[in-house]
Amino acid sequence: MNVLEIFRTGLEAVVTHRLRSALTVLGIMIGITAVILTVGLGEGAQQQVSSQISALGSNLLTVTPGSTTSSSGIRGGFGSASTLTVGDAAALTSGVVAPDINAVAPATTASESMVAGTANWTATVVGTNTSWLTVRGRSMTEGQFIAGHDLSTRADVVVLGATTAQELFGFRDPLGQTVNIAGQPMSIIGVLNTVGTSSSSSTSSNPDDQAVVPLTTASALLFGGSSRNSVSQILIQARSAGTLSAAYQEADAELLSLHGITSAASADFTITSEQQVLSTATSVDKTLTVLLGGVAGISLLVGGIGVMNIMLVSVTERIREIGLRKALGATPRVIRRQFLVEASVLGSVGGVLGAGLGLLGAAVLPHFISDKITISPVATVGAIVVAIGIGIAFGVYPAGRAARLAPIDALRSE
Amino acid sequence: MTTSDHTDHRSHGSHADTAEVWMENTGTYPLVRPPVIDADEVWKTYRNGSLEVDALRGVSFKIRSGEYVAVMGPSGSGKSTLMHILGCLDVPTSGTFHLAGEDVSTMSEEELAHVRNRRIGFVFQQFNLLASMPAWRNVELPLLYAGVDRPERKRRALEALDRVGLESRVDHRPGELSGGQQQRVAMARALVTDPDLILADEPTGNLDSVSANDVLGLLDELHRSGRTIVLITHEADVAQAAERTMRIRDGQILGEQLADSAAASR
Repeated sequence: MNVLEIFRTGLEAVVTHRLRSALTVLGIMIGITAVILTVGLGEGAQQQVSSQISALGSNLLTVTPGSTTSSSGIRGGFGSASTLTVGDAAALTSGVVAPDINAVAPATTASESMVAGTANWTATVVGTNTSWLTVRGRSMTEGQFIAGHDLSTRADVVVLGATTAQELFGFRDPLGQTVNIAGQPMSIIGVLNTVGTSSSSSTSSNPDDQAVVPLTTASALLFGGSSRNSVSQILIQARSAGTLSAAYQEADAELLSLHGITSAASADFTITSEQQVLSTATSVDKTLTVLLGGVAGISLLVGGIGVMNIMLVSVTERIREIGLRKALGATPRVIRRQFLVEASVLGSVGGVLGAGLGLLGAAVLPHFISDKITISPVATVGAIVVAIGIGIAFGVYPAGRAARLAPIDALRSE
Repeated sequence: MTTSDHTDHRSHGSHADTAEVWMENTGTYPLVRPPVIDADEVWKTYRNGSLEVDALRGVSFKIRSGEYVAVMGPSGSGKSTLMHILGCLDVPTSGTFHLAGEDVSTMSEEELAHVRNRRIGFVFQQFNLLASMPAWRNVELPLLYAGVDRPERKRRALEALDRVGLESRVDHRPGELSGGQQQRVAMARALVTDPDLILADEPTGNLDSVSANDVLGLLDELHRSGRTIVLITHEADVAQAAERTMRIRDGQILGEQLADSAAASR
């Protein structure tokens, strides 16, 4: 009996028991659909996160005061007595000690109230130098950014974020206008581009709602206090994403030596990179994908057990048929193959239909939910292969039982 | 017998070849041929836990080609066990059993399946037709396992159905046929491979007397055309249809007798 005939016989049995076959196929189908959609959702989320973060500039390092240690968590006081100074930032700009660093922007930040005419608004004021625009990866919609002479003359100039500008001036042009920041009149020389709200990354505040002033102006006039030379963070841009870790090493070594610290464990500053954030976010998404995929996998397993159950019922129910076929000359091998064909037909039909439904879902669902679903062809083909595999794997035992049935016992059963 | 003999027989089992054998046998009684069945001191012991039951206790007999033999005995006499051994559905515990010259007592399950397929045509009390298939598909089933191709299977199935007088019912499913017609489909299935032996196990047990006579008439007709038939029954009047009756009780053959008609014809 050739393969084609065995296949035909198996297929015939599937068609004869239509309802039962359809229900079994449904189990496999749901499992495959679930796998494809959950894996697609997970991959979609990963892509979304990585594209968001790469937009922030992945060759950015941020130095913050204080330190974190693996055992005791955050150590040192943020802001109260900042250990970072303008001098630290200046040292890092040296091409000799830090050849892999492209630009350095020290920054002090404070929340200040601003008044323009009758409008009143509170936003983050950032005191920084000319490199900030490059390091942050921002651009201007109008006017200019802070220039070198603004820093040296402690000029009373300010660059506003788009949201801040709108809150203070509505639809009027803010350029050339004056705004009082902490009681100090400052003239507006430019407006920053809009980047939109980003939920992740180290910029905890809205990047569109801030006012940027020269660092010298900020320390002398606005924030005042004892720590005039201290900054709340130093932003470092590496020459490229590839030299990020070299830049990290250089900044770390230079700051340790400047602060006279010998052991890296007792450092009074922390350097974080956007890549760390990226990899954390990605690993979180991966965990989620694995979790969802696991749940979907379980439903696939349940589908497989369904195939086995149905095949076992089928063997018991068709005990006379099997006995008759054996009496008429079917060898155990032929019977085993017939049942394996039946099981794998159920599996593969379920797999193909499930993949179809999954692809349909991936096309339709994003219109109803905000999440992106990315279908990978490998996962889809893999799911179909797995479904066929499940059909065969869970069909082996029932098929073996059918093959082992003694023809007399089978014929005798009523 | 060796494997090459198996394949040999199969390849020669073509229709034209066997048709010659029929003609040679028609109307005459066996020439010099090996007996279809040669059982020698066949024992069959069933073991059920620690309990051993001897279903057959040293049964020896021969059935020649072209004979029509009834095996008669009450239930529990061992006639079902004997039928299973005759039908190669089971092997003896001890003793030898030859079917058409082949020793089947030592065969593997795989080999037994081939022997059943080639040499034996079964007719069961319960008909044992597959309900989902039309009559001709049921009849072609043994040919499927013999590896015959599809057009040839259909041709021979239709021929066999024609022979049992069901040429107008080939596309009917078993459920659409009467009991007598279903048993005739089963007989067509038994004939289709052109077997050495037709083994009928209580073929009239589930039929009314008209259909029963119909089936017995068909068996008789097959016998007259040269077929070797073993009929297993517990009814004396059914056994009357055969030319020789073996009585079996408690796993042993008590004796045999020739039927009146057969005795008269000799």
